Amino acid sequence: MSAPVITALLDEATIQEIADQAWAALVGEDEVLVPLPGETGPDALSSWVEIAGPWTGIVVLTCDRDTAEELTRALLREHAPAELEAEDVTDALGELANVVGGNVKAVLPGPSVLGLPEVGVAPRASAPADTCRVDAQWRGRPLSISVQGGTPAALDLPDSDPTHQNGVPL
Amino acid sequence: MRALVIDDSRAMRRIVSGTLESFGYETRQAGHGQEALDVLLEGWVPDLCTIDWNMPVMDGLQFVSAVRSNPAWRAVTLMMVTSEGEQSQIVRALAAGAHEYVLKPFTADAIRDKLALLGLLPQEVAL
Amino acid sequence: MTLTATGFDWVRQLVHRESAIVLAPGKEYLVEARLLPIARQMGLPDVGQFVDSVRTRPSPESTRKIVEALTTNETSWFRDGDPFTALTSTVLPSLLADRRPSDPLQIWSAACSSGQEPYTIAMLLEDALPNAASRVAITATDISREMVERTRAGRFSQLEVNRGLPAPMLVRHFSRAGTEWEVAPTLRRMVTASECNLAAPLPRMGPFDVVYLRNVLIYFDLPTKQAILRRVRALMRPDGWLFLGAAETTLGVDDSWERVVIGRSSAYRPLKGA
Repeated sequence: MSAPVITALLDEATIQEIADQAWAALVGEDEVLVPLPGETGPDALSSWVEIAGPWTGIVVLTCDRDTAEELTRALLREHAPAELEAEDVTDALGELANVVGGNVKAVLPGPSVLGLPEVGVAPRASAPADTCRVDAQWRGRPLSISVQGGTPAALDLPDSDPTHQNGVPL
Repeated sequence: MRALVIDDSRAMRRIVSGTLESFGYETRQAGHGQEALDVLLEGWVPDLCTIDWNMPVMDGLQFVSAVRSNPAWRAVTLMMVTSEGEQSQIVRALAAGAHEYVLKPFTADAIRDKLALLGLLPQEVAL
Repeated sequence: MTLTATGFDWVRQLVHRESAIVLAPGKEYLVEARLLPIARQMGLPDVGQFVDSVRTRPSPESTRKIVEALTTNETSWFRDGDPFTALTSTVLPSLLADRRPSDPLQIWSAACSSGQEPYTIAMLLEDALPNAASRVAITATDISREMVERTRAGRFSQLEVNRGLPAPMLVRHFSRAGTEWEVAPTLRRMVTASECNLAAPLPRMGPFDVVYLRNVLIYFDLPTKQAILRRVRALMRPDGWLFLGAAETTLGVDDSWERVVIGRSSAYRPLKGA
């Protein structure tokens, strides 16, 4: 029996709702992710978590580096240090992937295992049919959330280049 | 009142301990279950542990089981704070001995409400 | 931004007066966002005009909607704790002793909002009484049609179920429905939701053994409070129990009630012969 494709299991509206709740609670009550197209630059940063179960794949957050820094400050609020270190950013972005990924997992048929967050250059979506993606803008900056089937290990290595796992440099 | 905040994300540790401190708690942090156990073993036994599920070295469920298997730590309240939201996962955590479960994303109000339920709010908290 | 400084200031004072919540300067756009749906419901084009119209001619319904829209994150399960633990610790044993086994137990949640209160009551009774499903009838009313429909649906977001609902009760009485959590069918069947304006003559309901009238009298002036308490009492059993909000009392409003202290909260019972 072949595994179901993600589009049969959830839609963009569901991802949007999960992200909206995460943003409202963690980034700020009045913070919104506006579903508007936008493209991140070549130097964009991603964080992702793996979901392994009846459906296997990854949940990937992608944004430009300055967006990631701003997100980190918003997440940390009064705890944000005056000077952000790279580790603060990878940690914050990773945690957002953990929160969004965990909630995506809960909507899928289970039981599934959630992996630890990785940060770096994300694996490209290998199967367009097994991808569900929301392109949004946060404070006018592009940010995407992609739920993509397949495991990083199954993809060509050059496509996946995590620089950090779980906030720790690899 | 003391709380041990256990999460592999430093950002999340800062947020949760900040919230608990605003409620009057003295807090310490640990990045995974083994580090947390080490804190207890050194003699710093908290009233409350907030516990993430997915962590390296020792995950939250293993930590809960370890604490609940030690009668000396019977009075420690164990509250999961995790993005693991499958119903079966919540059931597993409660069955392993966790007392409460907060789903990520959460707000400070959510933590406050759960602590009030547990009788673990050290002071009246103004809105 | 259509909200004026005067408008924002008025809203700020209203919210503080009615809920003790402080809206700091800088929250103007939050007010703008939260009140826009209500402005539209009222047929007004924007929040500025809506606030101005309410400010010049306030009505309990519109001021209540404004306060609710800005304080909705205060809706929680087991709100204030004691009025609900009192149900199982004190009220239920008393009712079971005074009633015949075949008598239904009728409860009224008189400002049910999105449903947390009536379903909190349903969960408690389901856990306390083996035959709750057949014996207990919970009437849930609210002035807002939207809230009544939400109560009927019995579906709550993850952020909502995080608010004061004990995790063991979550897994016992709810199941996941997509990103939301849905109350179990047995509990939904115990609750009947309908629209009701407390400030107007009430439909025939009850007679109720227990009434929860929490945090709603505060929106009304004294004569209306008195009228509401009279109407509520007329729908209650003579030995029934009334729960008000944590900061509310019948003292100074209606002296035909006896106050009973239960834990750190109070219940009010109709005074005999009053």
